[in-house]
Amino acid sequence: MLKLDEVTVRFGGLTAVNRVSLDVAEGGIVGLVGPNGAGKTTLFNAISGLVNPKSGAIRFAGSDISRWPQHRRARAGLGRTFQIPQPLAQLTVRENLIVAQRFGAGAVEMTRIDELLALVNLSGKADRDAATALSLSELKALEVAKAMATNPQLLLLDEVLAGLESASKRAFSDMLRKVHERFRVGLLIIEHDIETISALCPRVVVLNFGEVIADGTPDQVFRDARVIESYTGHGGE
Amino acid sequence: MTDRPRLVLIGLLIALYAGVPMILGGNLYLMSNIVAALTIGGIALAWALLGNLGGMVSFGHAAFFGVGAYVSALCVMKLGIPVFAALLFGGIGAAFASILIAPALRLRGPYFALSVLAYAHIFRIIATEWKGLTNGSGGLSSIPRFPELFGVDFGSKVGSYLIVLTLVLLFAGIYHLVRRSDYGLALRAMHDSEAATRVVGVNSLVLKALMLLLSAFMAGVMGAFNAHYINFLEPDYAFSGLWTTLPIVAAIFGGYRTIVGPIVGAVVVYLVDQLIFKSLIASGHQIILGALLIAMILWSPGGLLPRMAGFFKRRRHAEA
Repeated sequence: MLKLDEVTVRFGGLTAVNRVSLDVAEGGIVGLVGPNGAGKTTLFNAISGLVNPKSGAIRFAGSDISRWPQHRRARAGLGRTFQIPQPLAQLTVRENLIVAQRFGAGAVEMTRIDELLALVNLSGKADRDAATALSLSELKALEVAKAMATNPQLLLLDEVLAGLESASKRAFSDMLRKVHERFRVGLLIIEHDIETISALCPRVVVLNFGEVIADGTPDQVFRDARVIESYTGHGGE
Repeated sequence: MTDRPRLVLIGLLIALYAGVPMILGGNLYLMSNIVAALTIGGIALAWALLGNLGGMVSFGHAAFFGVGAYVSALCVMKLGIPVFAALLFGGIGAAFASILIAPALRLRGPYFALSVLAYAHIFRIIATEWKGLTNGSGGLSSIPRFPELFGVDFGSKVGSYLIVLTLVLLFAGIYHLVRRSDYGLALRAMHDSEAATRVVGVNSLVLKALMLLLSAFMAGVMGAFNAHYINFLEPDYAFSGLWTTLPIVAAIFGGYRTIVGPIVGAVVVYLVDQLIFKSLIASGHQIILGALLIAMILWSPGGLLPRMAGFFKRRRHAEA
C-alpha cells in the first residue's frame, strides 16, 4: 500500500529524515514511535506532501507520489490528522466533513457523514461551530472523522491521543479500532504512550535521529537495546 | 425562503426597476450619479468576492475594469460585435488578464496586493503604448452606445441605469450561489486553515484562481458597461486608481463580508460624496469621505450592513 524507499528530508544542514524505508500493508496498523525530534512528524509531512523529500521515493497504491501536490495525495486515498487539531475554521462540524468528502472522495454522501459522526461521538455537535464549540478530545475526534470523510485507504494519525487523560485515551483507542474495522482503513500512528501503542499496533517502527532503528512487534521493539537507549540515553541490560 | 423576505425582495425589485426610473428618471444629474454609484458597486462586489471568498486583497481591480473597457470598446469598433455581446467579451478579456496575474496567487496578504498593483500598471502602460490598437493616450472616442431594444432606449440615462442595475443584481446572484456551494464552503475553510483544507483534497490554488477569474470577469463587465455608457476611453481614465480605491472604500464601508454591503456602500458613499460633500467643499471633498470611512471602521469594523442587521435583530427581540 505505502512504500517508502530511502526517503531523506533535509532542512538546510539538518537531516530530519535519513534514508527511511518502510512498508505499510493494505489495512495494516503500524505504530511509529521515537523520542522528540526523531523525525516522525517530518516523515508524515513528506508522505502527505507538506514537505518535499530531498531524495528517495514515496509509493502509494502503485504510484510514485513523491512529487504530487497535497490535494492529489488526499484524493488518491492518503488521509492525515494534525498533532495540533486543525478544524476547518468558520465551518460547522458537519460542514468540515462535507468539504472533506466532496473534495477528497468526490461526492457528498450524507448517510456516510452521519455514520462517521456517530462513530466518533460527534452527532450531537454536528451543527456547532467546529473551531470554537469543541473540547480537545472532540477536536481530535473531528480530525479523525474529517480525514475519514475523504475515504482514505491509509490514515496517518499524528499523536491523535496525546494530551488526553487515560480514560479518554482508552475510549479513543477503541474508537480508532472501530473505524479501522468498519472501513478497513490502514493506520500509521505516531504515539508516545507505549501502553496504548502496544495495545493498538501489532507492528511498531522506531525512529531516532531520522533513521529507523527497530521494526517489529511491540514486544520485540520495546526490549531492543537501541530503542531503550534512544529513550533513556543508557543502554539496556 | 419564507414568505416575508420574499415579499420584501419582490417589493425591492419593483422599487428598483419601476420606482426609481419613474420618480427620479427626470433628474438626469441624479440618475447619472446613481449609474456611476452602481458601477462602483459592481466593482466593489467583485472586489469583495475575491476578498471574502478567495481571501485575497487586491489593489489592482482598476486593471480588470480598464481591460474590460478597452476589450469591449475595441470589439465593437474594430470587429463590429453588438454592444451587449461585447460586454461579455469585456468580461472575458479581463478574466484573461487575471490569468496573467495567476502566478501572484502563491503570494499572500500585502505581497499579493502589491504585486497585483504592479500588474495593473503594466496594463495601463500597454493601453498607452499600443497606439495602433488603442490610439494611445489620445484615447478612443465615439465608442458606440447601447442600442434601443424592445422600445427601450438603453443609451439613455434610465436605460443605462436598468443595464447596470441588472448586471449588479446578476453578479450578486452569482456571488450568492458560489458562496452557498461546496466550493464556497471550501473557500471559507481555506481562510484560516489552508493546509488542513489541502490535505482533505481541496486544490486551493485552483479554487483561488477561479475566484480571481470570476472577480476579474465581473470588474471587466463593469468596465465594458462604463465604456459604452460614457462613449470615451483613455488609459489614464480607464486604469485610474480610483476604480480600485472607491470600490474598496465602498465595500469596507458597506461590509465586505456581505453580498449587499458593497453595493449599498457604493451607493451611499458615492451619492453622499457627490451630492452633499461636493457642494460643501468643491475640491478636496474626498477628505470627508476618508474621515467617514475611518469613523465607520472604528464604529463597526464589519461595515454598515452587519451593524444594521444587528440593530434590526435587537429590535425584533424587543418587540417579541
